[in-house]
Amino acid sequence: MIKFDKVFKKYPGEMDALQDINLEISSGELVFVTGSSGAGKSTLLKLMSAVERPTNGSIIFENNNLSELRNQDMPFLRRKFGMIFQDHKLLYDRNCFDNVVLPLEINDINPTDSARRVRAALNKVGLLNKERMNPVTLSGGEQQRLAIARAIVSRPSILIADEPTGNLDKGYADEIMNIFYSFQQVGVTVIVSCHELPKSPIKYKQIHLIKGQITNSDNHVPLLS
Amino acid sequence: MFRYFHNHFQAFSRGLIRIKSNLGGSIMMFIIIGITLCLPSAGYLIVENVRQISTKIQHEAEISIFLKKDISQDQIDFIDLALKSSSEIKKIHFEPKLVAWKKLQTKLKLSTLDVGISKNPLPHGFFITLNTLSKVKINQLTEDLKLIDGIDNIIVDGSWIKKLRAVIYIIKAGLFSLGALLVVVLIVIISNTIRLQTLTYQNEILVSKLIGATNSFIHRPFIYTGLIYGLGGGVITVSILKGTVIVFNNVAERYEYILGNSIVLLGLSSTDYLIILMSAMLIGLFSSFFSARQSIKRLENS
Repeated sequence: MIKFDKVFKKYPGEMDALQDINLEISSGELVFVTGSSGAGKSTLLKLMSAVERPTNGSIIFENNNLSELRNQDMPFLRRKFGMIFQDHKLLYDRNCFDNVVLPLEINDINPTDSARRVRAALNKVGLLNKERMNPVTLSGGEQQRLAIARAIVSRPSILIADEPTGNLDKGYADEIMNIFYSFQQVGVTVIVSCHELPKSPIKYKQIHLIKGQITNSDNHVPLLS
Repeated sequence: MFRYFHNHFQAFSRGLIRIKSNLGGSIMMFIIIGITLCLPSAGYLIVENVRQISTKIQHEAEISIFLKKDISQDQIDFIDLALKSSSEIKKIHFEPKLVAWKKLQTKLKLSTLDVGISKNPLPHGFFITLNTLSKVKINQLTEDLKLIDGIDNIIVDGSWIKKLRAVIYIIKAGLFSLGALLVVVLIVIISNTIRLQTLTYQNEILVSKLIGATNSFIHRPFIYTGLIYGLGGGVITVSILKGTVIVFNNVAERYEYILGNSIVLLGLSSTDYLIILMSAMLIGLFSSFFSARQSIKRLENS
């Protein structure tokens, strides 16, 4: 599904953020990208989701080479990903419903279908009763669940979450991770970056980064059964 | 097709929401655009009124033909006949020199002894009213009349109209320059407002980009906001102009008995008002389009 071949990423005036990255992620996999701060986790996810382009090497996603993709085609490719960020990136001048409906507006979905799909997504993350509330009134965990609802509403084939539990208490963090596991169970590819490896009840792949290089890329059986 | 219109309707709604969310600032913006556009438009309104008056006056303009002092009656009759045969002449009035002299004396309340003039100094004169507005035809007629023996001098009484028209033309050119200058001012004001809006909605722009919004999707609400600013400003301009005409005419009507004449300020035509509205909307549209494009590009690069 996603293949990195000798990928390098260097920001102007800085050291290489990523060096010689080679990896392959298959459809329906659960992938944890681990590493300490500054290891290159976020850069890796940005390259995967076509937010940034590599300095060298090729990234192939569904037969598209992201390095060679034209600028005007990038938005259409990004629509295939569901993005979740550590800081949620919610819009606080809109209510929960309007936050979740944004990807559908971008995807040109008609209002009737949009409303139905937004409610289904909010129901999935347990926020259906809060659709008219402003996100600012929600707790940290609820805000992250709202961000997940926004990411899944357009039914992406890949969910990419950049440290989604970084700012949350353990209880909320487990709640969020359980939502990701449930999506993986229905065939969605889930890629999650985190400092430490969570205790996953299902099979997963770990990509461990140190100073922009992959030091470990293994498949793991569940730690918990 | 439905999706295309739905997209635009959504962007328009978002533009309206943004205007509503900053209603005070938006109303200020309408007023600024309205008053700025009002300056050249009001000038145009005045010039149009003066131009219409000048056109009316020219209809009644006369050509004065003064005959030679030693002219015979036969020659006068010949000139009279020649004038009557011209299709450009509507009315002919002959004023014998004696009548003219008496009129002048009465007007100045003088007797011949007072001014020391024993002989009538005035010539016979024909005063003709034309039925044409064509400058070429009037010039041609004047040239033809000059060729007739016995005619001493020809004065086109409407020559001041020409001067007035030249002045109107200069004022119009001035108004055009002022209008162009004010359009630039409006573009700067609207562009700056839209630039500030892109900063206000920076988060929304960046999130939309991350989840796959195209540039046109992001630009559209800003463009509609500019368009609505233009429309609001245009409506204010038209309202001010219409209000001014109504108020002026009411006041003029009240003082008609003092002025002795009725002064009516004519409003602009519906087409003119429509042009003002469309211009305001176009100014809003173009300013916001370029400003949104530039600002969003800058945001992306930052």
